[in-house]
Amino acid sequence: MSLTHLNSRGEAHMVDVGDKAETRREATACGRIHMRPDTLALLAEGGLPKGDVLATARIAAIQAAKRTHELIPLCHALALSKVEVGFELDTPNACVDVTATCRLTGRTGVEMEALTAVSVACLTLYDMCKAVDKDMRIDGICLLAKTGGKSGDYRRGRVTDLESTQAAASPMEPPVGAATHHEMPMITGESPEGHISIAPRNEQPCIQVKFLAELRERLGISDVDIPFESLTSPTVAGLKQALEAYDERFSLLGERRVLCAVNQVMSADDMSLTDGDEVAFFPPVTGG
Amino acid sequence: MISVQTAPFDVGTEQQALTQERTDIGAVVCFTGLVRDFNEKPDVHALTLEHYPGMTERALQDIVSEAEGRWSLQGVRLIHRVGRLEPGDPIVMVAVASAHRRHAFEACDFIMDYLKTRAPFWKKEHTVSGQYWVAERDTDIEDAKRWEAT
Repeated sequence: MSLTHLNSRGEAHMVDVGDKAETRREATACGRIHMRPDTLALLAEGGLPKGDVLATARIAAIQAAKRTHELIPLCHALALSKVEVGFELDTPNACVDVTATCRLTGRTGVEMEALTAVSVACLTLYDMCKAVDKDMRIDGICLLAKTGGKSGDYRRGRVTDLESTQAAASPMEPPVGAATHHEMPMITGESPEGHISIAPRNEQPCIQVKFLAELRERLGISDVDIPFESLTSPTVAGLKQALEAYDERFSLLGERRVLCAVNQVMSADDMSLTDGDEVAFFPPVTGG
Repeated sequence: MISVQTAPFDVGTEQQALTQERTDIGAVVCFTGLVRDFNEKPDVHALTLEHYPGMTERALQDIVSEAEGRWSLQGVRLIHRVGRLEPGDPIVMVAVASAHRRHAFEACDFIMDYLKTRAPFWKKEHTVSGQYWVAERDTDIEDAKRWEAT
C-alpha cells in the first residue's frame, strides 16, 4: 500500500481522477463534543445567547462539506448530491454526538467531506456555546463507513472510546433514539432526520426552491436550485413546469392545496420571478 | 411583541410585562393554546411544530398590524412555540391590551383565527399508532372568513 497523494519523488500531488469510473460514493463520519450538563440543558431548551444551536451547526456542516476542497489542499471540488447531518444529545454523558453522511456519483470518495462536516459541526457547537462553557472538548472524530470506489467498502469496527449507541448502531443509519432532538425541524430545508438534498451547484443564475413540512417528506427533497433559464416563463407557473421537467415527482406541486411563497410572501402561480428568488412550496398551515 | 421560540413561556409574566407602568389599559384578554392528548387520533404523546423562519415572523407581524388597524389596542404580545411539545404544554399565547374589553376580546379572537390560517406553522402528531402531519380544518377557514365580511 502507498500514499496516493505522494508521487514517486515523495512530493504531494493531486490524484488524477479523470480515468476513474463514476460510481455512487457515500461516506459517514462521526464526532463528539463534551460539555457541562447545564450547557447541554441550555442547548436542548434553546436558551443559549446565539440562538438555535443545532440548526446553525447543521448549516455550517453542510457548507463545510461543500467547501472541503478549499480547506484540504489535495481534495477535489465535488458536486455532492446529498449531505445529511444528525445530532444526538447524550444527557447521561453530557455530550452531543454528531454524524454526517455525504454522497455523490463521481470519481472520488467523499470521506474527507464527511469528516470535514463533522469537524465543523463540532466547532460551530463550540462557538455557539462558548459564552457559557469554555471547557468543552471535541473528540472521537472518525470515519464510520464508506461505500463505492476502487478501494472497496469500509466499515469501522466497534471502537472502544465510542461506546455509545453511535458506534453500536448501524453506521450508515443516522443515530436513532434521540427523537426529541432529531424532530426539532426549526429551519427551512431540513427534514426531521436532517436530510438535505443539494442540487449540483452551478454558476448560472438560479431560483432557490424549498419544500416544507409534509410536502418535503412526500417529495423526499428539501431544497433544489433550478437554473433560471430553464423556466418556460419567469413565473411560479413556469417554475413548476421546469421542476416537473426535471423530475416527474414534482407534478405533486400541481395539487390545489399546495401553497407557494416567493421571497417569503404568499404568492399565486402568476407571480413573476427573477434569478436569486427564494420560492417555497408547502401544505396548508396548521399552527396555533 | 412577537416571539417564535422553543422555550416555554409564563402567561402571568407576559401579561404583567404588557401592563407594566401603564394606567391607560382597561382590559387584557389572553388566549393560551395547549397541546391536547387527542386530535385526529387518540393517544397523542407528542407533537412537532415546524415553521418557515423569516416568513413566520413576518406573517405574524402582518396579522398583529392588521388587528391594530381594526381595533384600538394598547399592546399585543404573541408567542408561538416550535419544536417538540407534549400534551399539556402551552403552544401559543396571544395577549391583547386595550382601553375597553370589546376591542381586546375581538382582536384576540381575530389574531388567533388569522394565525391558524395564515402563519406558516405545521404540526406533526406522534401517537401510539404512528406519526402523521395534521390536516387543515374547514372550521378554521370558516372562522377566519368571519372577519372578511366586516
